[in-house]
Amino acid sequence: MKIKIDHAKCSGCKLCEVACSLKHTGTANIQRSRIKVFIRERYCLPVIAGPYTEAACNSKNIVMFEGEEISECIMCRASCPAKSVFKEPDVDIPLKCDFCGDPPDPQCVLWCPAGTLELVE
Amino acid sequence: MLFGWKGKILRIDLTRGNCSVENLPDDVMRDYIGGRGAGVKIFFDEVDPRIDPLSPENKIIFCTGPLTGTGVPSGGRFLAVSKSPLTGTISNPNCGGCFGANLKYAGYDFLIVEGKSPEPVYLSIHNDQVKIKPALHLWGKGTTETENAIRDEEEGTEDPWGKNILSVAMIGPAGENLVKFASIMSDGGRALGRGGLGAVMGSKNLKAIAVKGTGEVYIADVAGFKKAFSDFMDEAIANGELKKRSSFGTWGLLGRAQATGTLSAQNFQLNYLESFRKYENPAVVREQIAVRDEGCFGCPFRCSKRTQILDPAYPGTSKGPEHETIALLGANCGITDIIDICKANYICNEFGMDTITAGATISCAMELFEKGYLTEKEIGYSLNFGNADATVELLKAAAFRQGFGALLAEGGHAVAESCGHPELYMGIKKMGMPAWHPQGRFKGSGIIGLQYATSNVGGCHTRSTLTFNPKSPEPEPLAQWVKHYQDLVAVVDAGVLCWIIYHGPLWEEKPLVWLQLVTGNAYTQDELLLIGERTWNLERLFNLSAGFSAKDDSLPPRMLTEPPFDGQVVNLAELLDAYYRIRGWDENGIPKPETLDRLGLSEWKVKVS
Repeated sequence: MKIKIDHAKCSGCKLCEVACSLKHTGTANIQRSRIKVFIRERYCLPVIAGPYTEAACNSKNIVMFEGEEISECIMCRASCPAKSVFKEPDVDIPLKCDFCGDPPDPQCVLWCPAGTLELVE
Repeated sequence: MLFGWKGKILRIDLTRGNCSVENLPDDVMRDYIGGRGAGVKIFFDEVDPRIDPLSPENKIIFCTGPLTGTGVPSGGRFLAVSKSPLTGTISNPNCGGCFGANLKYAGYDFLIVEGKSPEPVYLSIHNDQVKIKPALHLWGKGTTETENAIRDEEEGTEDPWGKNILSVAMIGPAGENLVKFASIMSDGGRALGRGGLGAVMGSKNLKAIAVKGTGEVYIADVAGFKKAFSDFMDEAIANGELKKRSSFGTWGLLGRAQATGTLSAQNFQLNYLESFRKYENPAVVREQIAVRDEGCFGCPFRCSKRTQILDPAYPGTSKGPEHETIALLGANCGITDIIDICKANYICNEFGMDTITAGATISCAMELFEKGYLTEKEIGYSLNFGNADATVELLKAAAFRQGFGALLAEGGHAVAESCGHPELYMGIKKMGMPAWHPQGRFKGSGIIGLQYATSNVGGCHTRSTLTFNPKSPEPEPLAQWVKHYQDLVAVVDAGVLCWIIYHGPLWEEKPLVWLQLVTGNAYTQDELLLIGERTWNLERLFNLSAGFSAKDDSLPPRMLTEPPFDGQVVNLAELLDAYYRIRGWDENGIPKPETLDRLGLSEWKVKVS
């Protein structure tokens, strides 16, 4: 299973982050969310937390995205020591998307009002 | 454990450079919930209503409510409460974006800023780490530049994510120069627009507030909340609200304004503009200027739009113009090209000014010019209706108080008075009237005028609910409608929820549902409306104590005497009479002792009699 992201539809409302934190922490706390939306002037990009890597990589390439040069770091799903997201605040325990259990029932997909996120085979 | 609220107030004394944290009193939560009501209560308890709004004695309170940051649909808004330098009344404009949610996650329901810093500063709030930092290097800068610089300073440039989870509220040059209609801008073009609170921040030498929160908000009934969210979304899809608002935001309102004769045009001389027919289809507007939809925190409706015009003098993107701006800086100034309106909107956002009062001020100057009361020599421009270039230049001049801009910066009433024609400024309690013309072409259109005249913050459209087909045109039911929705909107603002979504009959009972599920308190609709009524009366008491009286519940004379060709004059005297009666106020607009008793405001009996 995968979550397909059509970022052109995303408006940056962060309801996916709220839904994720409600599921995993029982509170509204978007810093503990396993999905984060990167918001820029021209686009919003939801990124879902992938596996943890112990070291930050050295290849912080600049890539073109939506006509703008951005750090590849933004599109990378890994939870890593160099990022201020995808980890528990204060204790720094890494976070990773678990599709909200088995069978998958991702709350971010359910809550997204814009149809940005879709669960696909 | 508190559900919804954090139960904390962060207080910053800029004079002494102190920061302290206090508990939010239980009775404030009980009697006013939060947001607007609680903010006004705290403000009134601490501030003498007769002070000069630009003195260090004035305070500014940034308010969230129990629903802020919880994910309640459209529950991402926040307010600021202060005494307005424009009107001299209580002021509590309301703003979207993520600032409110961030303040809440940082652990505070309210942020009180008091005193005056000896030099320019900005506040940095990261949870319990609160610092007052120098901002001399930001003074004079536009809002975009200020926001970017603060994001870099607070989070560095290494980790792009860090900057992304921070919110900034700031003033532009207009606020620094104490322009009476300066706004506080936030998160890339959102505004605490009305009331000139940007000048209050400017008077305190406070350039900006940066806030990042990583804490949580507890919800009493998480399972019930999830279910209610899902049900609400089903409703919003079924009734078409979701699609309508996400597609065109407030741009869809123009057609309705034209159809009902409620568009402010040519300084309210007209209620309809033939040359605006082309924009009655909102798809035309979207096609020309929209870059993307931009949702406020937790809002599925995402009605606001990021926009761009291809002109190197206006780099990057901006937010809006919303319907109000299109009407006031467009139709009301006779400017009929959406690109020109975008330019004026861009300047207001960048320099930090309320587009509504700015539009009302420029349009007033235009009429004064066309009638020969102002000359080209005085203004520096041949300021006929429709002169878009002069409008943009004058807005810039107002922000910096240069030339004729120095007079504009005082507000339209000052411009009109300086020419000996105060009646030509279309403002109420000195605040520019919003887009909806009170002389519509339907029976009972006076309902709009009654809302404006009785608003506690001056000419404002977000204090009650507009209606274009009232059930009866008689004063009694119209006044009843206005009163009922004024009370309901006070509850919406206590949440803090978004007026656009919850102000009308459609979702009138939803604030109750959300407040019950999030706080766990067993409110009833009647209790909530009583809290709303209490808030409304407390604001009224503040204004009465500040020196306002029934004679200030007025409209520009034009609204009462000269109807546009198919519009109706406002029968304000009859409407006010019914309104005061329904409110339980005497003929002088003062709440009667028994009304104050009923609302639990008995302590005010002696003070206002």
